[in-house]
Amino acid sequence: MKKILLFSLFSLLFLLSACGEKEDTDSKRVITANVSSEGGKQLINMMAKGGFEPNETVAKSGVDSIIRVETRGTFDCSSSLVIPFLDYKTNLPPTGVTDIDLPSQEKGSTLFGSCSMGMYNFEIKFI
Amino acid sequence: MYKKYTFHISGMHCGSCVLITEGELSEINNVKSAKAKMNEGIVEIEADFGERTDKEILDELNMALDEYGYTLSLEKNVVPKKWKDLFYAFPLAIVFMILFIVLQKMGIVNLVNAEKITLPTVFLLGIIASLSSCMAVVGGLVLSMSATFAKEGDKFKPQILFHLGRLLSFFLLGGLIGVIGDFFILGRTSYFVLGLISGLIMLILGLNLLDVFHFAKRIQFTLPKFISLNLLKIRELNHSLVPFLIGAITFFLPCGFTQSMQIYSLSIGGFVSGASIMFVFALGTLPILSLMSFSSVGLKSEKVKSIFFKTTGLVVIFFALLNILSGMTAYGILPPLFNL
Repeated sequence: MKKILLFSLFSLLFLLSACGEKEDTDSKRVITANVSSEGGKQLINMMAKGGFEPNETVAKSGVDSIIRVETRGTFDCSSSLVIPFLDYKTNLPPTGVTDIDLPSQEKGSTLFGSCSMGMYNFEIKFI
Repeated sequence: MYKKYTFHISGMHCGSCVLITEGELSEINNVKSAKAKMNEGIVEIEADFGERTDKEILDELNMALDEYGYTLSLEKNVVPKKWKDLFYAFPLAIVFMILFIVLQKMGIVNLVNAEKITLPTVFLLGIIASLSSCMAVVGGLVLSMSATFAKEGDKFKPQILFHLGRLLSFFLLGGLIGVIGDFFILGRTSYFVLGLISGLIMLILGLNLLDVFHFAKRIQFTLPKFISLNLLKIRELNHSLVPFLIGAITFFLPCGFTQSMQIYSLSIGGFVSGASIMFVFALGTLPILSLMSFSSVGLKSEKVKSIFFKTTGLVVIFFALLNILSGMTAYGILPPLFNL
């Protein structure tokens, strides 16, 4: 009985660590590679298929941005994208590119988006 | 000479049970009146049984209630809480959850790379949907409902009706989406509310299946009392119309794949194509969902059954919490907590 309990506790810890993939990103203060500029705006590239890639983006604050989401044969939840704080919801095409306008964000703020079920998500930190 | 008898009753858990019990008992010869008190778990009967012993009276009364699963007794029937079975159910549930998470981490949703959508692709998408995060929403609901009915001894009919309701509503509503457009595609708030409601239902049913907490016991799949016009039809309706309607409602539950298919049906247009896309998609989800519905059928021994229902309860609670928390994330109430 004790063995079973120990096994369960161990597995539970494993589960929690698998789901909560929060890393300490304070050390990462560098603009990530998926951020570039286009026509005077900051361009944040992202891929949506079975989740959002990259999961965490670090971008510049204080400038207007475009989030460009690419889909390639995407039928899962990540095709229905929501950004709660912008009150934004869209259904991405199965294959294609969708631009989302993003007004300038405050320094130190974090914007997160997710699929409509909330099981896939991404974060953009503004520095 | 009418005498008053008081018996303990077990197996009663809903408003309509009171009506059924009272109705059945007062139809017995010699019984003048019957009053059931659910909260106290007793039945008071005024009857003239002459010189018969308590045991003989009980046997006759129990015969009338047998088909509903209620039992009268002189002593209060204390159901032993089978905490011990949780020791087995807990690791089993964890193994299931790990399998589920590993399946997601392996990227099962990336298996389809179709540029063009054909009906076979839609079928495949249905299968994948039922194994992906949609399993947490629809699968969780199927599992909790099927196990709850199975526990009451109904292993086939409600489950089959659930799937029929699901297939039929996907066909009809899919067709309607093709004709009248996005009327049936819900907004962010509606998805949030529906997801929250189904999550809470799952949570309660999951706790019920564990069979160790009593507070959740009273909440069951039942129609409101005011619809209950015909006493004998109540149980039948609860076990047929309710699962059928729940199956039909799954069209609106937040599941990414379902939404994609709805959007696709919308973009194609026309009743026939919308109906066939949504129907084939639901058909694709059927194998896995049926597996979850009928997994309790082969179980014989009481011990195995108890462990099975407790395991199911734990898995359902896990899915329910996952749904509620991620629903709150999608609505912006909570920051992202996990990523499947």
